[in-house]
Parts: sequence; C-alpha cells; structure tokens
Amino acid sequence: MAVMKAPENTPVWVNTARCKACDICVDVCPAGVLSMKADAGSTLGAIIDVVAPDSCIGCNECELSCPDFAIYVADKKEFKFAKLTDNAKARREAIINNDFRLPADYKEAN
Amino acid sequence: MAFNYDSYLRLEKMPTLWCWGCGDGVILKSFIRAVDKLGWSKDDVCVVSGIGCSGRFSSYVDFNTVHTTHGRTIAFATGIKLANPDKHVVCVAGDGDALAIGGNHTIHGCRRNIDITLIVIQNFIYGLTNSQTSPTTPQGMWTVSQKAGNIDPTFDGCKLAIAAGASFVGRETVTAPKKLEKLLVDAMEHKGFSYVEALSNCHINLGRKNKMANAMENLDWIDSITVSKAKYDKLSPEEQLNLLPTGILKQDATAKEYCEMYQEIRDVHQGKRGKITQDDFAKKI
Repeated sequence: MAVMKAPENTPVWVNTARCKACDICVDVCPAGVLSMKADAGSTLGAIIDVVAPDSCIGCNECELSCPDFAIYVADKKEFKFAKLTDNAKARREAIINNDFRLPADYKEAN
Repeated sequence: MAFNYDSYLRLEKMPTLWCWGCGDGVILKSFIRAVDKLGWSKDDVCVVSGIGCSGRFSSYVDFNTVHTTHGRTIAFATGIKLANPDKHVVCVAGDGDALAIGGNHTIHGCRRNIDITLIVIQNFIYGLTNSQTSPTTPQGMWTVSQKAGNIDPTFDGCKLAIAAGASFVGRETVTAPKKLEKLLVDAMEHKGFSYVEALSNCHINLGRKNKMANAMENLDWIDSITVSKAKYDKLSPEEQLNLLPTGILKQDATAKEYCEMYQEIRDVHQGKRGKITQDDFAKKI
C-alpha cells in the first residue's frame, strides 16, 4: 500500500493549496474538527482549517469525501483518537449553522 | 501514516480542473485505492477516457492513459485490450459519453463481454457543456435545453448493460466512497465486461436551478433516490418506481470472455485446433 508519513502528533492535516472550499468535509465531520476560514487568495474566499484537532475521532469520513486530495487522517494504529463528546457535537452544529465557519466568539459549553 | 494518493497522480496537473465539491474527485480517489488494493503495477493499467468532465480523469492518473474522441472509449479500449490481453483496461465515461453519443459502443462492448471495466460517472446532466438534458436526467427537472422541465423518459444504464449482456453490473454513489472502492475492486477483478455506474453530484450545472445549489444538498438528493439492492428487492413495484438499487446487480462468472475466444480463433488459423462449433459454448438460444 502506498503510504505517506504523518506529521508528528497530528490526527488530521490539510493541504490548503488544493482546497477549493466546497464545505463537504465540514459537513461530514461528526466532531466539529474542521471549519472554513476566510482567505482572500481563494476563489470562493474561504479555505479549510483544522480548528479542534483534539476532538478528532479518526472516522476518516473527511478524507474519503474530499474530492481534491486536500485532507489526510492519521492511522488508528499510530494515533490515539478522542471519543465523540457532546461538546464536539455542539461545535459541529455551531459551525454548520454559521455558514461552515467557526463563530469568532464561540465558547465551549463545559 | 495515511494513504498516499500522490504516488498515483500526475502532480503537475494538480489541483484538478473540476468544480469545488465535484463527485468526480471522490470517484478518482476510490479508483486509486481500488487499484492499490489489487496491487497492480502502474504500468499494467490503462485508463481510457472520452470527452466531458469525466474525460479529465485520464489526465490526472499516472497510469498508461488515452484521452479519446467523444463516446469512443470502448472502441479504443477494445483495441487496446485485444492487443494487450495481459493488461488491465479501465474506461471512464460520463452519462452523456457512455449512454448518449457512445451508447452503441457501450451496448456492443457489453454484448462481446470483453474484459474491460467501464466506470460511468452518472451526474444526471451534461455538465461540461452547461446543463443540457442527458439521457439520464430525471423527468421534470430544469435543464438549459428544456427550461419548463424535462419531458424525456429516463434511461437506466444498469438495466441496459444487463440486457446487453455485460457479465458484471453494479451501481454505487459518491456518498459511500468505501462501498464504491469495494465495488470497483470486484469489478476490476471480474473477468469479462464490468459496468459500474457511479452516481455523482453536479450541484453547479444540475443543482443550481433544481434547488440543490450546494454539494451537500445534491448528495442528500442522491441518497434519497438510492437504496441497497437487498432492500430494493423487498419493495413493491410501485415503491421501486423512483428508486435506484445500489450494489452488485449482476455477476456472471460463467460467460465466455472475448479475448479468450479471440485466442481460440487465432489458434484455428494457426492450425493448432479445429473449427469452433456451437458445441463449444453453453447454448443460449
């Protein structure tokens, strides 16, 4: 199998040069790990950003659904992923309801 | 550690020309993972594509690639396969490429049961030329050529392939990339013509005027019209009417493969065996 080496201690990492800001990864992430951020250089004015790597559960959905080879998720054997929490679910709702961007003043419930 | 797609890509062509959120990228990734799973060398695979957004497919992968004329993928692929029976030939075509302009090639490829895998990227519209009605556009949908709603009855590519004699027929959607990868592995392993329909989203040219302006809405719509084959078979004919079954729809390992029959013909002419008679085949008539 063709493998690529993961950056140290990173559950999910992105290649911003390939991101087209389609929002699919933000939509499929169950734990609110990913969000879009404003980027003047991008065609759609946004670019992918990993806002909460600690919440990543390693489900791999974002990597599988990204059409542009821009997201990579570490292997479950090499990285200990978090469990899905209510905080993470609430963050996901907040991001999706705010046009796929993390609200600037967002605070975790607990 | 993560899966390294880059070793199968022509990196100088990245990023892809496809629109943001286009399902073609997900199909490309699933195809690369499937080839990796099969452990095939890059030199043993030939990808043939025609015209349309799907035509870009062959530009991005670092296999042997052919980018041919509109609708003629199967014609070119048949020649490639007959000349190189030990290579794996994969055709990629859109719904317009495979079912409209190349419809006859598809039918006769299926009929011959030659060992080619045809991946039909089905996005329900002519995407590259901006929203004209394709043979698979659902009735009632807005298209630029039928602005009051499409009245043309819809084509089911899988039923066509089954009737035409393809020995492997399957359908999967881009919303289930893992299942799509598995289906592609099964299809490419199969000896004989494999027809794989991958339902894809075109929220730019189909969705914008049909209340599915972003990728997620279009993907949700695709999810709403598909159901797994096991569930589909339990439904009544009325319930089946507007649904498409996914999974392996036909798999026939007994059908004779065309390259093998072609080798037998060569043997006849080289005096290695007697004439081919009807008794050599499982009689179908």
